[in-house]
Amino acid sequence: MIELKNVTKYFRVGFFGNKKNAVKDLSLNIEEGQVTGFFGPNGAGKSTTIKMIVGLINPSVGGIKINGYDASDYRARLKLGYLPESPSFPRGLKGIEIISYYSNLLNIRASKDAIDEALKSAGIFHAKNIQAHKYSKGMTQRLALAISILGDPEILIFDEPLSGLDPIGRKEFKDIIFKLKERKKTIFFSSHVLADSKELCDRIAVLVNGRLIKNKDVAEIEKEAEAYSEERKDNSLTGEYNTPLEIYLYDLMLKSGKN
Amino acid sequence: MEKILYGAMYSFKEIKSSKIFYSFLIFALILISGSYFVSQTSFINQGRIMVDFSIFAISIFNIFIGIFIGSSVVYDDIEKKSVFLALTRPIRRTQYLIGRFLGLAAAIIFSTIIMMLIFYFVLLIMHKFIVPAMPVVKTVRHAIKPPLAGSMPFTLYSLPQPLIIQGFFIIIESVFISAAALLFSLVTSKALASIFAILVFFIGNVSSRMNDLIKPVRKVINGKTVTVHQANHTLAAIVHFIYTVLPNFSLFNISSEAAYKISVSGGGISYRIIYGICYTALLFVISSLIFASKDIA
Ligand SMILES: Nc1ncnc2c1ncn2[C@@H]1O[C@H](COP(=O)(O)OP(=O)(O)OP(=O)(O)O)[C@@H](O)[C@H]1O
Ligand SMILES: [Mg+2]
Repeated sequence: MIELKNVTKYFRVGFFGNKKNAVKDLSLNIEEGQVTGFFGPNGAGKSTTIKMIVGLINPSVGGIKINGYDASDYRARLKLGYLPESPSFPRGLKGIEIISYYSNLLNIRASKDAIDEALKSAGIFHAKNIQAHKYSKGMTQRLALAISILGDPEILIFDEPLSGLDPIGRKEFKDIIFKLKERKKTIFFSSHVLADSKELCDRIAVLVNGRLIKNKDVAEIEKEAEAYSEERKDNSLTGEYNTPLEIYLYDLMLKSGKN
Repeated sequence: MEKILYGAMYSFKEIKSSKIFYSFLIFALILISGSYFVSQTSFINQGRIMVDFSIFAISIFNIFIGIFIGSSVVYDDIEKKSVFLALTRPIRRTQYLIGRFLGLAAAIIFSTIIMMLIFYFVLLIMHKFIVPAMPVVKTVRHAIKPPLAGSMPFTLYSLPQPLIIQGFFIIIESVFISAAALLFSLVTSKALASIFAILVFFIGNVSSRMNDLIKPVRKVINGKTVTVHQANHTLAAIVHFIYTVLPNFSLFNISSEAAYKISVSGGGISYRIIYGICYTALLFVISSLIFASKDIA
């Protein structure tokens, strides 16, 4: 269980260190054993929120607790896997060397079989002896995924897991997430494309301009969307967006973005 | 503890396969071998020229390695985001930082040893400056069990004590400056961190001489001893401040002893080692305090 309580984050930018808000007063509970989709337009603050959860950056105000531990405490990450937004690895080291290093940093070190298993399920086993800086974007993404699922963590945090993947890769990634979902893992992932990941989610949270504007079960949101599309009676978006849910969220983001 | 070691091993591997490390190492090796030819241009004191030149090359290249890799070992890891996956494991930030730093120190030790070995071989070929390994040597490398007189097919030679000590000092000095570069790289950019580290090294090398220059001297004028201030008070205060605060790198330069094969006393050695290690540790503690609360985005 991950609890975010009144979390605000501002960055100091520019010469004078002016405050720039990235996340404003965000309170959110990520329930155990559920898949939560975290949606929002570019620059909404999704990655910032995720980095605060995994302890890379500290909230300016408020607190985050994972299984009772503060997010800055290393014990909060005992059973956590994280896939960063656009992962990258140092030059000159092979995929297998990199993943063994990260497995060594786990509390219970993963066995060689477990490493192979993770590499296989992420579909990068064939390239384990190639230096990682020679990987394509999709391959890098897969290696990072293999690292994040290593050691069978209970909580998985994925920052835009599907971005930069071809249609086949997306399908495979989604299948991996489905499998993890079947095993009752807590999954929190961000995306700005609703269409390709809606079916994964139990819950949907929407962030716009650093503010949480929706946080509901999928069924509930769908009901709202149906009602909304009855009212709307405007087909200007068909083509780009087809389902009522997409149109509803699109309008929602647009409206909140303006305020 | 284990995690620190794994981190150190990994970062050593990473540094070893980095271009900058390789190029410095190869360049230094070329210079050391080249010093043989440089020394051939002189008729007298070929050994001394060779030693001066090589020790200079070894120390300057290791210091470069310390500065440039020190300012990028964590900085690049943050910049390239590969640090994300490490820090989101169940590991304290300090553990990660110690691992990186130890890996860097290992790389410096590795390169110094390789350079010293090549240097040793060049001296062996020239048959200059080396001393026969004595039967009861404790500090000297390549020492073997006392050979039975006449039973050895060849004589074993070793580097003189001050040269070995100098090699050791180069390691300490380079690790020391790399700790400074690491600290700077956590608060500024990589380029600025390298520049600051170079400045600190430069000032740290001349500060003791500057301090000697502005020290009041006692002179005997008309039969009376008077203290003469050679510089005005503010300047003296500034120089003295710099001298006290900035590390004194000239301590680690014993090339004149080395060139004349003068042994360095044990007390002098341990004082300098303790000085270097304490200062390095202090810089590292500051780095890890900064790093612990740094936003890594
Ligand atoms: N290190 C930083 N320094 C200053 N501002 C930052 C920093 N990181 C993020 N921001 C700002 O915070 C806001 C949110 O950024 P964030 O990366 O969280 O967005 P996002 O929702 O992940 O967007 P995207 O969909 O493009 O990945 C942006 O306005 C960004 O400019
Ligand atoms: Mg993002």
